[in-house]
Amino acid sequence: MASIHLSGLTKFYGKRRGVEDVSLQVGDQEFLTVFGPAGAGKTTTLNLIAGIVTPDRGSIRIGEKTVDPLEPADRNVAMVFESYALYPQFTVYQNMAFPLRSPKHCLPAAEVEQRVRHFATMLKIDHLLERQIQALSNGQRQRTALGRALVRRPDVFLMDEPLSHLDAKLRHSMRAELKEMRGQLGTTTIYVTHDYLEAMSLGDRVAVINQGRILQVGTPEEVYFQPTTVEVAKLFGDPEINLIEAKIRSRQSTSVRVQALGEDWSFPITPEIGSALDKLTGENVQLGFRPADVTVGVNGNSSLHGVVYSFEPLGTKSVLTIDSVAGQRVRALVDGHRTFQVDRRIEFSVPSASLIFFDPESTRYLIRSTRTEGED
Amino acid sequence: MTQSRSPLAKIGKGLQILLLLAYAVFALFPLLWMFIMSIKPDSQMLTTTFIFTPTLENYATVLHSDYMQFFFNNLIVSVAAVLVSLVVGVPAAYALARFQFKGKEDIAFTILSFRFAPEILVILPLYLIYQRLGLYDTYFGLIWVYQLITLPLLIWILRGFFEDISPDIEAAAQLDGYTWWQVFLRVLLPLVKPGLVAAGLLCFIFAWNSFTFPLLLSNNVQTSTVIALRYLASDTVHYGQVAAAAAISALPEVILALLIQKHLVRGLSFGAVKG
Repeated sequence: MASIHLSGLTKFYGKRRGVEDVSLQVGDQEFLTVFGPAGAGKTTTLNLIAGIVTPDRGSIRIGEKTVDPLEPADRNVAMVFESYALYPQFTVYQNMAFPLRSPKHCLPAAEVEQRVRHFATMLKIDHLLERQIQALSNGQRQRTALGRALVRRPDVFLMDEPLSHLDAKLRHSMRAELKEMRGQLGTTTIYVTHDYLEAMSLGDRVAVINQGRILQVGTPEEVYFQPTTVEVAKLFGDPEINLIEAKIRSRQSTSVRVQALGEDWSFPITPEIGSALDKLTGENVQLGFRPADVTVGVNGNSSLHGVVYSFEPLGTKSVLTIDSVAGQRVRALVDGHRTFQVDRRIEFSVPSASLIFFDPESTRYLIRSTRTEGED
Repeated sequence: MTQSRSPLAKIGKGLQILLLLAYAVFALFPLLWMFIMSIKPDSQMLTTTFIFTPTLENYATVLHSDYMQFFFNNLIVSVAAVLVSLVVGVPAAYALARFQFKGKEDIAFTILSFRFAPEILVILPLYLIYQRLGLYDTYFGLIWVYQLITLPLLIWILRGFFEDISPDIEAAAQLDGYTWWQVFLRVLLPLVKPGLVAAGLLCFIFAWNSFTFPLLLSNNVQTSTVIALRYLASDTVHYGQVAAAAAISALPEVILALLIQKHLVRGLSFGAVKG
């Protein structure tokens, strides 16, 4: 068990940036998810920690030990690969026993047997131990790969999108199982994923990474409700967050009147928001709001107008895309039992209680309406 | 296939077997012909019927001459050539499959180009160089020049096999506590074994059958392929002895191929290691 400290990790593949200046602290027994789109540098980060890739600059500490000069074998790190990387010539049992039989660990046969059986039972693959890898389903391979990492009892677990090749249902049940398992094991874990739901549900904290740089590290609530940049806000949530440019027309101490989406409207503000808006250089502000917070009305007390562009029923919820007066589209998540005709005129309102304010110049987070900064 | 017992499927299956049989006869006929020739006396050699008095005289003549010495010469240079190719080629194939380096494709192509340059094109300069260096008529000289035949083949076949193995597997094994060498020996080599066997055998066959190089680059250290020429004199041709010599020469290849048949089929049908 150990904490992990990354400082200034940089790795370029030729001219292509793998990661640049990644600094990150992971506490002992913490479960950190690293979230980002494809090619963001997530896997590179894991490979650097595992020692599979050597950094151009920067340093890694696991526990009290600087591991930079150590070979992967000597770091006591276990990794679950996206491709599972099982040894195709071995059986499930041999795969799981392989690390324990290595010259590095070299456990007596009885203990190998006992450990492999223990974790195989825990992962519900004890009936498959004599199977060849080729004869396994994807889910079973995934469990075997997990088992091979678990038997080691390493200081640190690295998981590289372990669930991404499973079908949706299995992925959800494995997610729940992983969550349960992390409680039992209590090992420091870095878990890489491109699925924001996985990142938020599993992680004690989430590190958001894109184009080789860390954008934000925080609790799942922080990254979702107080994204540091527009970029982070866009990465979380499906359908994507709505981002609109608003021109500030006039401001009182308790409300602000803006022109946005082609219409003039106003909403109440707190003194904190007022002082945050004071910091803006121009008269524009960028507003973000989640589709789930948009209210779509019919009876005339909504402030904005539009035309239904598309309507996608998804069961309990439906995604509604609205063409606003200005032509910019707004996504809204509405109740599944409501239906909307395409091209129908509708009214909607932007929730003043859950607006996120961004500086349009720097695209950085200013403030949000219901939560104040520093609040958890 | 098995549950659909329609007449059409049956006919298709029958046709398939028939075609395969025809091909088997076609492919094996030269071997049979060689064997028949080797047990015919010279006087009946040109009869077109299959009626003749079988004799082992041809074999006796060949085995009592110094032919066997050249047979062993061939064995020594061919086996040694394959071994050298394995020692050099396996790491080369691994490097070409795994590492990104400048001029990688150029190097790979240059290696391959050794294979498609006709031997006769390079034999004269090679002859002169070998004379100067004192490599002419030595085992070492032949083993070295055979690398032109064996090495490209081995490298290119094995490269494909190494490329099929995910680098993640290597990384996983290293994380599991093995050094690079142990990973190579315990994880990678078993995975490329079918390719290794198939490529090794093909290399051996090509080296064994090599004619131009031993003909022109050696004299006393001669191989059986070249020596078989001696039965073709300008006045008489001892077809029976040629056939017997050839039959003896073909034996190592046939035996080897039969011994490693299992790996050979897997090795020649690529992608055997996809997990």
